[in-house]
Amino acid sequence: MSYMGLIYSYSDKENLRELTSARALAALSIGGKYRIIDFVLSNFVNSGIFEVSVIARTNYHSLIEHLGSGAEWDMSRKRGGLRVLTPFANKEATDSAHIYRGTIDALSNHLHSIKKSMADFVVLTGSRILYTMDYRSMIRAHQDTDADVTVAYTNHMNGTCRVPQGSPMIRMDEHKQIREVEIVDEEQEERECSWCIGVCVIRKTLLESLIADAMSHQRYDLYTDILQKLSPALKVYGYEYSGHLLEISTISTYMEANKAMLDPEFSAKVFQKTVYTKVKDSVPARYGPECYVENSMIADGCQIMGTVINSVVSRGVHIDKGAIVKDSIIMQDTEIMDHARVEHAILDKDVIIRDGREVIGHPSYPIVLPKMSIV
Amino acid sequence: MSFIKKKDMIAMLLAGGQGSRLGVLTKDVAKPAVPFGGKYRIIDFPLSNCINSDIDTIGVLTQYQPMELNAYIGNGQPWDLDRMYGGARILPPYVRGKEGEWYKGTANAIYQNIPFIEQYSPNYVIILSGDHVYKMNYRWMLDQHMKKDADCTIAVIEVPMEEASRFGVMNTNENLRITEFEEKPAIPKSNLASMGVYIFNWPTLKEYLIRDEEDPESSKDFGKNVIPAMLNDNKRLYAYKYLGYWKDVGTIESLWEANMDLLKEKVSLELYDPRWKIYARNGNLPPQYIGHQARMRESHVSEGCSIEGTVENSIIFPNVTIKKGAVVRHSVVMSSTTVEENAEVHYAIIAEGVTVGAKAEIGANPEKDVIPAISVVADRVNISCGTRIDAGTVVDRDL
Repeated sequence: MSYMGLIYSYSDKENLRELTSARALAALSIGGKYRIIDFVLSNFVNSGIFEVSVIARTNYHSLIEHLGSGAEWDMSRKRGGLRVLTPFANKEATDSAHIYRGTIDALSNHLHSIKKSMADFVVLTGSRILYTMDYRSMIRAHQDTDADVTVAYTNHMNGTCRVPQGSPMIRMDEHKQIREVEIVDEEQEERECSWCIGVCVIRKTLLESLIADAMSHQRYDLYTDILQKLSPALKVYGYEYSGHLLEISTISTYMEANKAMLDPEFSAKVFQKTVYTKVKDSVPARYGPECYVENSMIADGCQIMGTVINSVVSRGVHIDKGAIVKDSIIMQDTEIMDHARVEHAILDKDVIIRDGREVIGHPSYPIVLPKMSIV
Repeated sequence: MSFIKKKDMIAMLLAGGQGSRLGVLTKDVAKPAVPFGGKYRIIDFPLSNCINSDIDTIGVLTQYQPMELNAYIGNGQPWDLDRMYGGARILPPYVRGKEGEWYKGTANAIYQNIPFIEQYSPNYVIILSGDHVYKMNYRWMLDQHMKKDADCTIAVIEVPMEEASRFGVMNTNENLRITEFEEKPAIPKSNLASMGVYIFNWPTLKEYLIRDEEDPESSKDFGKNVIPAMLNDNKRLYAYKYLGYWKDVGTIESLWEANMDLLKEKVSLELYDPRWKIYARNGNLPPQYIGHQARMRESHVSEGCSIEGTVENSIIFPNVTIKKGAVVRHSVVMSSTTVEENAEVHYAIIAEGVTVGAKAEIGANPEKDVIPAISVVADRVNISCGTRIDAGTVVDRDL
C-alpha cells in the first residue's frame, strides 16, 4: 500500500488580519523558528509518507520560498516528494478568495496531478488546526473498519470543551460510523461533543470519483457537500485523536498557540517527534551582560541585551539594551532598539521599533505590526 | 570521449589527525570532529571557508576514528557541497592490489590520492588541515600566489616570538619569498608561523610527491620533507600573511580559550556574519526555552536547550538542560548534557551526553581574574549527586 498527502495551505475559516494578508496561512511563523507548514509536513515525514502535495491558493510566494525543493523535510525525491499545486488562472473568480469555490473545487483543479500519483490512499489535512499524529495508525483503522472515508475527530481541545468556529461536529453510532455532521460558523462551548480536526483518509480512486461527481452537481465543499450529504450512503467512520491541539484561526488563538509552547509539559508533546524546518545556519543566541529573560522561547541568531518575558522570539531578532518585551510574539529579524517597550503585540518580520518607542496592546486585543513596519 | 571539466583549484583537507593533546575529548572522534562554539565542529571552519571562497571540490582525508566524521560530512549538503561534479568527497586510505596502506604522513596522504585530484586536472591545489578555527578567504591567497608566480604559497600568521618555537617558522626576504623553513626551531629567526594552509601549482606538487614517495628516508611530511625539498631546488615559495583570528585548538586550555574568545565584547572571531556564514549540520531542535528562574549573562546558547538555572560567560551547545538552582560559569557545555538542580560547574569543558548530578560541584570558583586549571568531563559520564571534582581534573568514568 502506498499513501500520499494533500495539504490545504489556506483556510476560509481564519481571520488573522495583517498576518495572512500577504502570505498563505501555512507560511505563518509559529513557535519561534517554524512555519505552520513545518508541523503539517513533519507529521507526514514521521509517518513515513514522502509524497505530499501542498495546495496553494493566493500569496503563496513565501510558502514556496520556505519549502524550496523539500530537501529539509527529506522530500526532495525521485519517487513522490513534495509538490506545490498553484492555481490555474480562472476567469470566473471575482476575487482571490474565490479562486477555488471550495475544498472540492480545489482538488478538482488539481485532479490531473492527483490522478498521476501511484498512491492507493490519500491523507487530506488542513493547516488551521495542528496536531501530532502518526497517520499510519489512522490508515490502519480505516482499513480495519473497511470504511469509505475515515475522519479524525477529538472530544476536547487540550482539556477544554471549546469547539473552534467552523469545525464540523459529528455524531457517531456505537461502531464509530458517522451518522450526522453539523457545521456551526461560530466558536462553541460544547460538552461531550466530537468535532473534526480537519484530517481524513480516503482511497484515491474513490476520492477521484467523488470529486467528479460533486463537480457535476456543483457541490464544492468536502464537509458540507460530501461528508454531510453522503454520510447515509457512504461508510464514513470516525477516528479519535486525543492528543494536544493548536488552533490558529484568529489573532488571539494564534497568540494562545504560541504561548502554549512556553509550557514545558505542553511543548514536550508538540516536539515529541522531530519537527523539520528550513535551516538558516544562524549562530547560537547571544545573551548580553544586562539581559533578563523569563519564561520565553528564543530562537537561534537572536541577540538579547534587554528584557524578555513570556514571549516567543524568532530567529535573528535583536532586543537592545533597556528594551522590554512582554507577552509578545516577535518574528524573524525584527529589531527592538534601546529602551523601547513592546507588550501584548505581534511584530511581523523585519519590523523596527526605534529607541524608546512603545507598542502596547491589550491581552484581549494584541497589536499586530505588519512586515517591515517602522515605529 | 570523456567529459573533462576542469576545476581551477580544489582543496584537500587533512582530517585524519588524532589531536592526542585533547585527551578524552578525542578518545572516540578525530580532532576535526571536536565540537566548538555552541553548534559547530572544528571542520566546519575549513569547509565553510572553502565554500565561501568559491571552492566547491574538497577531498576530505580521514584516518583516525573516522566514523563520526564521515557521518557528519555525509554528502556535504549542509555546506552546499553536494554537487553533481565536485563537492565534498571522503577519502579514506584504501587497499591497492595486495597491499593495504595507511596514510603514512601528510604528503603520503595526498600522494595516495593523486588519481582523485587528476580527475579535475586543477591548476592549483590548496592543502588544509581540519585542526584550526579561523575565517579566511582562500581566493585572496590564490591572488597573491598568482601575482608572485609562485610554485607554492604558505599562509603564515605572526605569533609572539617566545611562542614561535612551537610552530613551523618561515624566514622570508622583503618580498615575502621564503628563504628558509624551520620546523619547531629552538631559536626561531622569525615569528611567521605556518598555518598549515598551502597552495601549490598542481603539476609541481605532483612531481615532488612522486619524488618524495620514492625516498625511503623521507617521513612523507609537507613541513619536514616536501617544503624543504622545494626550497633546496630553489623553487618559488612565498609566504602569505594572514591578519585575522586563527587558533590551534589542540589542547584543553586552547579549546576553552577559543570558546571564551567568542564571548568577548569585541569579538575577534565574528561568527555572526551573513556574508561569511559558518555552516554546520543541523539537529532539527526546537528553539531554546528560558524558564522562570533563569539568569542569563554574557553567554551563547543553542537550540533545544532548556535553562532554569544560572548561565554566565558560557557556551552552551544544543539540547542541554540546566535545572533550577544550577550554576554554570566560564564553561563549555556540549550537546545533550544535563546539569541537575543546584549543581555547580565552573571553568570546565563538559562533553556530550553527560549528567551532572544534583549538588555536584565541578571546578573551582576563584576570585576575579584568576583562571584556574580547566576541568574536563568526558562523553556520556554520569557524575552522581553531591560529587566534588577539583579544578583541572579530567573525569573519564562515572563518579
